[in-house]
Amino acid sequence: MRLTRRDFLVGSAALAAGASVSVPFLLPRYHIDRRPRRSRVAILHAEQYSQELDQTLGGGLRLFSIDVRGKRVVLKPNLVDYAAGDAINTHPLLVLAAAESFRQMGAKSVVVAEGPGHQRDTQLVLSQSAYQESLRDEGIRFVDLNRDELIRTHLRASYMGMRDLWLPRTVLEADFLVSMPKIKTHHWAGVTLSMKNMFGIIPGCRYGWPKNILHWKGIQESILDICATVPIHFVIADGVVAMEGNGPLNGTPRSFGKIVLADDPVAADATCSRLMGIEPSRITHVRAGSDFLGNCAPARIDQVGENLIDAKHPFKLIPGFTYLYKQ
Amino acid sequence: MTIDQVVLSGLIAELVLRQLPCGGWAALASSSQPALEPTCFSALALGLFPGGALGRAQAFLLHTQNPNGSWPAFAGDDTDGAWVTSLAVMALHDVIPAIPARLQGVHWLMSSAGKESNWFWKWKFRTTDRHVRFDPDKFGWPWFPDTVSWVVPTAFAVLALNQLPCSCGGLEQVPFRIERGVEMLLDRVCPDGGWNAGNGVVYGVPVAPHPDDTAIALLALREHGRHPMVQSSVQYLERIAPRLTAPWSLAWAILALAAYGRPIDSLYSSLVALPELPNVDDTSTLALVCLAFDYQRALSALGVTS
Repeated sequence: MRLTRRDFLVGSAALAAGASVSVPFLLPRYHIDRRPRRSRVAILHAEQYSQELDQTLGGGLRLFSIDVRGKRVVLKPNLVDYAAGDAINTHPLLVLAAAESFRQMGAKSVVVAEGPGHQRDTQLVLSQSAYQESLRDEGIRFVDLNRDELIRTHLRASYMGMRDLWLPRTVLEADFLVSMPKIKTHHWAGVTLSMKNMFGIIPGCRYGWPKNILHWKGIQESILDICATVPIHFVIADGVVAMEGNGPLNGTPRSFGKIVLADDPVAADATCSRLMGIEPSRITHVRAGSDFLGNCAPARIDQVGENLIDAKHPFKLIPGFTYLYKQ
Repeated sequence: MTIDQVVLSGLIAELVLRQLPCGGWAALASSSQPALEPTCFSALALGLFPGGALGRAQAFLLHTQNPNGSWPAFAGDDTDGAWVTSLAVMALHDVIPAIPARLQGVHWLMSSAGKESNWFWKWKFRTTDRHVRFDPDKFGWPWFPDTVSWVVPTAFAVLALNQLPCSCGGLEQVPFRIERGVEMLLDRVCPDGGWNAGNGVVYGVPVAPHPDDTAIALLALREHGRHPMVQSSVQYLERIAPRLTAPWSLAWAILALAAYGRPIDSLYSSLVALPELPNVDDTSTLALVCLAFDYQRALSALGVTS
């Protein structure tokens, strides 16, 4: 069969059109690879919030080779809103224990920073949730990330289709950023752990309350772009009392008795998910994050502290997310 | 001078001290990046005490307006516009040379609407995306372009548009937008009264209201005081206000309850008694406390009372 000039042109055009459609899906959407060869996760036991958390956390941190001497440490808790008796926020005693530990380890400064996503009155959330008094007594500075100075920052991944975001100076200038999530289920993301916790660095004064642009661009996609751009150096996840069901605000508190530490956010979230009875590879941002942000596979995670055992009673999930359960 | 006046003049002095050389204010005392929200609230607060600082604030506002008539969230921000446009329009209300800028701002507000005003998103919210209970026919204003309507930007836009003396000269649609905005606010109310960001019921579960969002919505709905949901929201605010320990929410509660003729003496005393008011890091809060201390003139500046 002879190939005419017309056939050649039509074929070339079809090939070019096909390539232009398919190539964006084939190319990686991240511009960095932050996966360590191996990650370390510690599961600590803590029955309740008490002054003993200092010792528990201090002992846990010694299981890692952390050097924060002379560094600016920023602790990013999950501080959303306040409702008496609910397990919405990272407990202030755990944040204080972390601040004290990093100070003792020689940090140049320790700052607590958060930008609540729904509540515009950050000071009200701080005072109602006992943060304000605790931080003042310990001389720890708090920065409201919803109103911090902003710097236009080029994104290091392109899942949500934005080139840059305005991000707070305090976070960008941190030498050692610690994500301190509350272990919770989430009615839009499945779970909210160390990576989802980073939504709180997005400034409300620029993106609103809630940070609605991220919902429109895709929650999972936003998590990946934010975590690619702002590296999480360490994770301290509060699961002493966790939340299941219709989280992050209206779920049910669940006594869980665990604190999870990790030097890798993907490994931290994968481990927390396994503890919750959830298959981490079914959580989009954990699975995609394991391509470039950290390790999800148990074979690449060094487990220390308590053993990781299968959850006898998985966390309750709202109906739309039951596919996350381990089969 | 009464104690309140002494406290107020001290706060105004602190506000003037925080003004940046450019005439604007930063969001936090420790920052030097001029932002629009603290500048607008500070300008409204300084309107109670006219002077050079107010003139510099107004000049800053005129200087930072975007070419499309909107205002950015902070100096140096992208130029597509932000919710603070409503605040800037109100902050420049009595400035005659600013009339063209205000009109441009109003025209931008008229072109801005929550994404659910578009037929496609309306259809989506009616059919497939029904986790949050709301009526997409009732739309207001977003925080930023390309997102849906929320309570606070809608309430501020309604307040700003209500200040217009007439709806002529290309602004014939103003009454329609105000009406839709009011409907949207009433639609997003929490089941037992009060407002939060705009999610009254999610997955069939009522979400708790916030005092500041409630107060701002109530100010915008002052002309609808007989509506049952407005009345239950006033009652919610009356119940929660005595327990408030944060100046931002307490100041908003005083303004809203004063607008509805409710007693505020004890709240006023609580505000005066809050420790370290001049040291509040958040400058918008500092300015708002000044407005609450002189609530009658503040309500007039917001267009709630004449």
